[in-house]
Amino acid sequence: MTPLEILVAAVTGAPAPRIPIFCNLLDHGPRELGMAQQQYYANGEYVAAGQLKMRERYGHDNVWSLFYVGKEAELLGCNEILYAEDGPPNVADFVIKSYDDVARLEVPDDITAHPAWTETARCLKILKDEVGATHPICAYLTASTTLPALLMGMDKWMELLLTGPADVRDELLKKCSEFYQKEVAAYRAAGANVLVYSTPFGSTSFVGMKRFKDFSMPWMQLDLTPGGVGSIVYYCGMAPFNNVIQQVMDELKIGVYYISPLADLAEAKAIIGAKGLTCGVIDDIKMIGWTPEQTRAEVKRMCEIGMVDEHFLFGTGVMPLGVPEANIHAMIAAAFEYGTYKRD
Amino acid sequence: MLDSIIKAYNEAVFETDKEAAFDVVNAALASGMRAEDIVFKIVIPAVEEMMSNITRDPDANLAQHFMTAQIASEVTEKMLEKFEHPPEIIGRVVIGTAHGDLHSLGKRIVMGCLKALMVEVIDLGVNVPAARFVDEAVANAAQVIAVSAMMVHTATGENGARGVRQILRERGIEKQFRIVVGGAPYRFDNELYKTVGADGWAPDGVNASRMIVDLIKEVKAS
Repeated sequence: MTPLEILVAAVTGAPAPRIPIFCNLLDHGPRELGMAQQQYYANGEYVAAGQLKMRERYGHDNVWSLFYVGKEAELLGCNEILYAEDGPPNVADFVIKSYDDVARLEVPDDITAHPAWTETARCLKILKDEVGATHPICAYLTASTTLPALLMGMDKWMELLLTGPADVRDELLKKCSEFYQKEVAAYRAAGANVLVYSTPFGSTSFVGMKRFKDFSMPWMQLDLTPGGVGSIVYYCGMAPFNNVIQQVMDELKIGVYYISPLADLAEAKAIIGAKGLTCGVIDDIKMIGWTPEQTRAEVKRMCEIGMVDEHFLFGTGVMPLGVPEANIHAMIAAAFEYGTYKRD
Repeated sequence: MLDSIIKAYNEAVFETDKEAAFDVVNAALASGMRAEDIVFKIVIPAVEEMMSNITRDPDANLAQHFMTAQIASEVTEKMLEKFEHPPEIIGRVVIGTAHGDLHSLGKRIVMGCLKALMVEVIDLGVNVPAARFVDEAVANAAQVIAVSAMMVHTATGENGARGVRQILRERGIEKQFRIVVGGAPYRFDNELYKTVGADGWAPDGVNASRMIVDLIKEVKAS
């Protein structure tokens, strides 16, 4: 079976030889090609080449079309990105500096015609041509309730959300939801087949349960209803969300959950069961200081919990550059070893 | 009467309702309560109550942390204008986000709580080089240097807390200051703060302020 077929089997419950194994290597791309970040991210061919080379080097299942998270802000007018040699690029210029800027914010009619989409499209075409038939191609899409943080900064967004004028807040959210809907359609059309829906406000670590129900849930429904939830992965930016999984399953019908390393994996698995796919996520920040043996032991522990009754995927967060290469190799080797189903 | 005011104020803070919190404070002032009593008998105990709530309540969340700090800071600022004598400041802290890091939410939560706890805060902003943390700490005779970092490379890099420690050591002034850190990477690895040379960390901005107050007292006592 191809890695893509293995992923589909994990979702549907069809028999497969092993679990899907995801390793999210983004910041490693420039190093892989021996380039500075700015040069690497300026050309979609480089990003695609970096992804394909790293997949060959480590042997995991997935590749990414994501350059860096701030790319979405560029599609909405951000002109300045702060590059670093040892970590991810950051938004350095917020599009929204005052509440008046919300009215001026323009969602492009066709985001695929925007110059900031050109290199993403180039990257996706290469990935689709090279591995689209056999491997999962991931895309990263920020929910309407979280995108404002990229446009105005998280503290200003919290201020607007919790104490600001409701009409300004709602106008911004409507624009962000419209952007999400256009973006997800563009990624689907370009060949991405794993759509990571990044929704930290879909975790009660960000807002309380009441605000989750009254605020986050309706906006998530607005984001997701037009395009549907096919290939969507529920991800809260590494924040735990076990206590809302059932509600999300009932109301949004999402089937795939990327569980926080801070959450109880066994509890998540018990809630999701055979109704969807539980993605166990290793704490890759701890991996910076672990030995390969410690890494293997953690992969084994997670597989033992998650593989019961199948419907399980092993994954990472956004792997930090500081994780020793030996640990990445150890992690993936262990995931293949412990993630193989023993069938009679 | 004080008990009912405290209860109403705490409920407003817990529900992240700034307007309701100010209504309680204004009603207390109208009834003749002194601004000093509002800060020391209502606002500061409410911050401390929230610290305990966060520790034991699994539903405690970022929005509550943010609003606790905002409300405490704004009420304190308004009440200070009405104080008969300036209050005694516990100590000073310089705070900023590490070089290369532009995330300011965590810093803002810590600052809001510290102001209410009568700590003077020197805000260095975002993207602060390690040397500037030290220079400002020396210039302002601070006891604590607080370095916020939301990304792994800014938390562990040479331009963050690790660099601050190195510079303090090189200048022979390590014992005059304590370094504290905060931000997402430390939540995923609770021992990471030691690796970067910090003296302490806290899992959230509200409890970070308590730790900073403790470290200020430690420096002053040494």
